[in-house]
Amino acid sequence: MRTVCLGLAAIVIAACSSSSSSTPGNNTSAAPASGGSLTVLEWSGFAGDWPAGLDPATNTNGAADQSQMDAIYGELFELGPRGVIIPDLATGYAFSNGGKTITIDIRQGVKFTDGTPFNAAAVVWNIKRDLASSCTCKPVWLVKSVTATSPSTVQVNLLVPDGAFINQIFDSTADWIASPAAVQKMGEKAFALKPVGAGPFVVVSDTPSSVLVLKKNPGYWQKGRPYLDSLTFKAVGGDEAAYEALLAGNGQVYEDMSTPALLKQAAQHFNVENQLSTSPYDLQLNTLTPPFSNVKARQAIYAATNFAPILQHIFSNLYPMTEGFTGPGGICYQPTVPGYPSYNLALAKSLVRQLGGLTVNLGTIQNLVAQYTTEALQTEWQQAGIKVTISSYPLASLIAQFTGKKWQAMVQTAGSYDPAAGVGVGFRFSSLSPFSGVHDPHLDGLLNQAAATVDQSQRCQFYNQAAQYIAQKYYGPFYFAFAPANIAVRGVTGPGLSQPLPAVVVTPTILWEDVSYNKAAS
Amino acid sequence: MSAPLFRPAGPQTLLPPEVTAPKRARTRRAENWTHDLKITIPLGLLILIAGACFLWPLVYPVPKPTGGSILDAGLPPFSPGHLFGTDAVGNDIFSRILYGGRVSFEVGVSVTAIGLVIGGLFGVIAGYLGGITDAVISRVLDVLIAFPALVLALAIAEGLGPSELHVIWALSFFGIPAVGRVARAATLALREQTFMLAARLAGTPRWRVVLRHILPNIMPQLMTFSLLGIGVIIILEGALSYLGLGIPPPNPSWGSMIANGQQTLSSQPELVLIPSAFLFVTVLSLNLLGDALRERWGVR
Amino acid sequence: MTAEAGVRPGARTQFARRAVGSPGVRVAGRRLLAVIPVLWGVTFLTFIVMNMLPGDAAQELLGANATPAEVHQLEIQLHLNEPFWVRYGNWFGGLLKGDLGTSLSGGQPVTTILGQRLPVTAELLLYAFVASVVFAVGLAVLAARRPNGIGDRISMAVSMMGLSIAPYVLAPVLVYLFAIKVGWFPAIGYTPLTQNPVENIKSLTLPAASIGFPLFAVYTRLLRADIVEQMQREDYIVTARAKGVPPWRILIRHALRNSLFGLITLVGLNFGTLIGAVAIIEPIFSLPGVGAILIESINNRDLPVVEGIVVIFAVITVAANLLADLLYVALDPRIRYERAAV
Repeated sequence: MRTVCLGLAAIVIAACSSSSSSTPGNNTSAAPASGGSLTVLEWSGFAGDWPAGLDPATNTNGAADQSQMDAIYGELFELGPRGVIIPDLATGYAFSNGGKTITIDIRQGVKFTDGTPFNAAAVVWNIKRDLASSCTCKPVWLVKSVTATSPSTVQVNLLVPDGAFINQIFDSTADWIASPAAVQKMGEKAFALKPVGAGPFVVVSDTPSSVLVLKKNPGYWQKGRPYLDSLTFKAVGGDEAAYEALLAGNGQVYEDMSTPALLKQAAQHFNVENQLSTSPYDLQLNTLTPPFSNVKARQAIYAATNFAPILQHIFSNLYPMTEGFTGPGGICYQPTVPGYPSYNLALAKSLVRQLGGLTVNLGTIQNLVAQYTTEALQTEWQQAGIKVTISSYPLASLIAQFTGKKWQAMVQTAGSYDPAAGVGVGFRFSSLSPFSGVHDPHLDGLLNQAAATVDQSQRCQFYNQAAQYIAQKYYGPFYFAFAPANIAVRGVTGPGLSQPLPAVVVTPTILWEDVSYNKAAS
Repeated sequence: MSAPLFRPAGPQTLLPPEVTAPKRARTRRAENWTHDLKITIPLGLLILIAGACFLWPLVYPVPKPTGGSILDAGLPPFSPGHLFGTDAVGNDIFSRILYGGRVSFEVGVSVTAIGLVIGGLFGVIAGYLGGITDAVISRVLDVLIAFPALVLALAIAEGLGPSELHVIWALSFFGIPAVGRVARAATLALREQTFMLAARLAGTPRWRVVLRHILPNIMPQLMTFSLLGIGVIIILEGALSYLGLGIPPPNPSWGSMIANGQQTLSSQPELVLIPSAFLFVTVLSLNLLGDALRERWGVR
Repeated sequence: MTAEAGVRPGARTQFARRAVGSPGVRVAGRRLLAVIPVLWGVTFLTFIVMNMLPGDAAQELLGANATPAEVHQLEIQLHLNEPFWVRYGNWFGGLLKGDLGTSLSGGQPVTTILGQRLPVTAELLLYAFVASVVFAVGLAVLAARRPNGIGDRISMAVSMMGLSIAPYVLAPVLVYLFAIKVGWFPAIGYTPLTQNPVENIKSLTLPAASIGFPLFAVYTRLLRADIVEQMQREDYIVTARAKGVPPWRILIRHALRNSLFGLITLVGLNFGTLIGAVAIIEPIFSLPGVGAILIESINNRDLPVVEGIVVIFAVITVAANLLADLLYVALDPRIRYERAAV
């Protein structure tokens, strides 16, 4: 999976603030209306971009396109409201062998939309194909073997125990199962443009990175679903463009609005659904090069940074402050970390004096709100006597900054539904990740232990220890747990649109089979 | 520009009034004055805006355009101490307009100057010398014009980092061939004139001919073209900043202010309207001035 | 058939010689020859410029999880490790055969991508040009009918506004007024011509207006100035007036026709410069054209796609200029014989 791209693109969504007042008025107790068509707008810098097509094994945008993928393929397991795991195309799972073996039960009696059977063999074929692909989007598991032990059971044997396996499925391409017969018949290139799955919708036409038109799958396994007759995805240039398009009636849903000022505006006309955050904003410090190889410099940053006014003025106080890498929408949520170094301007000034001055280059991705954040930090740090230059990079240059190891401080996001999944804590703090500024074997050990343990409460303990350790060593302050908001016209109901959903990686995966549109109510 | 040899019959609508009817002295002076207005009003506006951008902060204290306190974020226009209000991070917008205007004028004038000097030089040489020199120079100018300046600007911004200087380089790529073509065409037209032939026959050295005869005669044309060009360059600089390739944040530029403002157009329209208005008025004044001078100097 | 000294060549040779030797054909031939180095120069320059950019596609494609070995592997696969001249030679060779390579960020052939997107941009630009020329002609004719009259002053004011407004400022205004307020046109999106011609035109109107309004302004001024000057200076016009030909007829049949030449040249010149305008306008309206992917491709270091787009635009610019030049030569007899002296 293209975790890199996601992680960095995540910062773009990072600016998302959700208005604390989700407009009331969607009466979900009424029976959902059947029929109708919905146009969903997606930002062309993230989900509205699928240049490589929509084949799970080759889609370089990976989980960014999760909305489209979910509509076409459905999922093995879905993450539903309140963090409940919903069995969709898989019916259950079991850990064994100390967390090294996972057995997955596949739903019986399901067919792909080309008529071929959806069974364990198909799932195995897909997982093997995903692992063997050269795409950065491929699953990160260390798999020893994956076999179909029965027509409806798949067994995955790992080289190391992985307690987070099921949570990791949510943002893994293995969650989307393609029809092997269709891939073989059409060839990979053609399949990527007109994929075949067993999900709620079938592809009618596909103009990559522009428009994807889907219609209801008449043979969908869940009777009475999907509610919608047709679903269209359209790419749009940004939040303002999407907002204007919604006002002009060119769409009914916009996913992941990130501009705080517009969210307030949008709440007057549309339903603004805030998701539960799983990914806090964090300030990464590169401990491998000066100035932050010096612990005093890092300490000075902690002391000079006051996130409260930033939260208030840029993000309209919409998110809870946090001191670790977990958010209220994910597992192991711990908002406060014992001994977290807090804002102390006098201390910051004295540390800077002891250092004989401190000059920092602060970077982030080219996104308006991210830029505003760095400008505000610049002003704050300058009060402590720190000299700051700020830079903003488009994605490719941002990657180059990291791989060139030239960066000093970066505003990013860290964390996901499960810290061991996706753009989780390891992505930013493990010594193996090129996106990390930290090389600390002790921290690595903590994170690996947490990932390997199957028992969730034990895992959470390890993660709490890790957050405390990060604060002790001043590896990087965390701001607040932001979450994107989805905008929908009144009359649209569904998980993620009229009900909050935990974000899988930054953004939630909307469960399209449960979405309905009652035009009369709009 | 000679008058026709005889006055045609029929309505006098095809010829300018000055030609068809004799004028009384008072009306002529009134016309001179209206003609002057065509020059003085835009010129005055330009001097006002440019003067404000460069001089106002020196004589009258304004808040800094960057590093605003976040506690002052998002103030509406006419707030105390902030004539145009503040942006999302607390920077004073009026100050950003002034400093952003500096960028526009600096880039506009620099690129035009570079274009005039380099483009003009090569254009004149090509037009005057003709032959192989002309062919080579013309081809180079053609390549420069066909090459999309946007790609170059992007490459420079990415490779060398965005900055005002790099914007000037990138836009010169576009400005030089524009002036070059005009200079060449003007020189070609001039070359055929009899007085040129006379000068050569009299033994005047080539460089002297260029200096004393060609340059003064093409100057009006080049000047008016360049004046209109400044407006185009300012809009292009705005476009580059709009795309994030120009002046790097947090330093202001009218283009980046417009781009950023457009992202919150529905909630704070003044963030777009104010820089757009300044951009529009400045370019309009430049165009009006160029037009008026062109009329005045009788340039085609 | 050779001509020995003193023997007059036969009729056929004479005709052939005159045809080839005619100044028009000579000029055309020279123009065509001049096009080749220009095209080569543009493609070469683009290649150089793109290679100056830091970072490369392999690293970008594989992302941070890739080991240096994997990056190196992909570089070899994509021929990114070969020296500059080899890569350029490969690409140029492919170009001459009509193969523009494959996109580095999706694996699709560049010709396919451009084939899908070019019609959108082409239609947009065509719409903008045609509309701006038509309106410019209309307004210019009205203005030139009575120089310094009311119509003239209004049209000059309108065109002056158009010259001074930037497309990226105009576009949001148009969207606000015509898409949100009155809802006549969509704010975003593109409907293909084959799907629904009416919706297609509607979806391109606001973008074409954003691009076309400044063009319309330039053309109006040029046409008006040209027509007025013809009406005042040219002897044949005065003669026509003396003969009693009605003024409208003179305006349209004579002055306008001649002025259109100047306009055509300008249109040709403008075409290639619009790649910048298109790169800004298409994303604003979510049109799936070449402008929209140009910037994204540059950011992704997707060299083949960028090169493909630049080449197409360069070819079109050069071709448009050439056509305009040839048209000028062919239609204006004076130029033909004047050029003989060049």
